[in-house]
Parts: sequence; C-alpha cells; structure tokens
Amino acid sequence: MSYREKENIVNIFSTLLITSVFAWKVYQKHLAGSIELNDNFQTWGIVFLIFAGVSIVARIVIYIIFHIINAIATREEDIPKEDERDKLIKLKATRNSHYTFSVGFFLAIIALAIGWPTYWLFILFVISGVISELIDNGSQMYYYRKGV
Amino acid sequence: MARKCITTERGFKMSKDFIRNNIRRLRFNADEMTQQELADRVGASRQTIVAIEKGKYSPSLELAFKIALTFEVPIGDVFSYEPENK
Repeated sequence: MSYREKENIVNIFSTLLITSVFAWKVYQKHLAGSIELNDNFQTWGIVFLIFAGVSIVARIVIYIIFHIINAIATREEDIPKEDERDKLIKLKATRNSHYTFSVGFFLAIIALAIGWPTYWLFILFVISGVISELIDNGSQMYYYRKGV
Repeated sequence: MARKCITTERGFKMSKDFIRNNIRRLRFNADEMTQQELADRVGASRQTIVAIEKGKYSPSLELAFKIALTFEVPIGDVFSYEPENK
C-alpha cells in the first residue's frame, strides 16, 4: 500500500473519530443544559468555530503520529513528493467531495423549507461535511487503486 | 463523447481507444533502469511510473516527452495510439 493510500485511510479514521467525539461532547453538554443549541444561532456559530480549531489541531497531531509510525515501519523518512498524478487525483476527489456537500446543503435548505426546526440546518451541515470528507478520501483511494 | 482508453503491452485495457507504452522494454534496454530511477529523472513518483506502465494513468504531454527524452527516443517509440476500430 502506497503512502498516499495509507494517508487517506488515516484521514478517514481521523474524520470519523474527531467528529464523533466532538459531537458526543457537545450533545452531552446540551443535555446537561450548559449550552443551548436548539435555535440559538450564536451558540451554533461558537460550536462550529471551536470544532474547526479542534479539528485542525487534532488532525495535525494525528498526521505527525502517522508519519512517525510510517517512518519506523517502512524506514522511509521522506514524504513522497506530489506529482501531476497526485494533483489530478486530488482535483477529482475534491470535485466529488464538493458535489456531495452541495447535495447536503440543498437537503438542509429543503429541511428548512418544509418546516423542520432550524437546528437541523446545522446538523445536516455537519453530516454532509463528514460525508463529503469521506467521499474525498474514498475517491482518492479509488483513483489510486483503479487508475485515473 | 468517447472515453480515453489505455492498454499496455500486458494487454491491460481501460476503454475504447488504445494508448500503448513500451516503458518496461525501454527500461530493460537501458541497463535495467529501475522504476525509481526513471521516476527521479522525470520528476514523478515511482507509483506514477508504475501506473503508467500498467496503463492505469495517461501522463501529461510534458511528462511523456520527459520519459522519451530520458530514453533518448522519439515519443512515438514510447507511446503509441490505436483506435479500437482500426
């Protein structure tokens, strides 16, 4: 398995791990009454910003750990440089990811239009964000395996 | 629109039209040049050279020319194109 494929697998697991842990923590705080998420846009904004920060830091830590473990296991310290095939694969994966998020965004708007509570807008944003991230990494793995 | 199609000496086929490559043979003739050596010379990764040899990736014109220049042969000796109905 190539470095890029392993990197994508790590990304998939880190996306699922970070999002599920963060969502669980926020939900527990909501149940305990320490934060009010129902229709409070300001709280949602704060939660999203904290999530962005936590997600970036956690990904950096996970990536460093992955690189160290990979270097020990394969005895290859250098990260393979990105060439035209890598860029093309990333571009196609990003396209697939954006299509997925667009569908999620559209569904969130439909949910608002049919009268679902406003907080569903944000929940659907998070879900479509996670799915689009998985599609991104999954597409990359597919293109690396099957060809582009 | 007809999809681009790739096949190699190994007979790997991706679609309707055929782009064949002789990289494996050219590497053999160049003192068994390794895929990594070729990759380093043309500025690509070894995985990309593997993918081109297997017909899983069709390189850009620039990379195709670089490969041809590395072996000091015309580009037509490295890659050839054959439509399916020919």
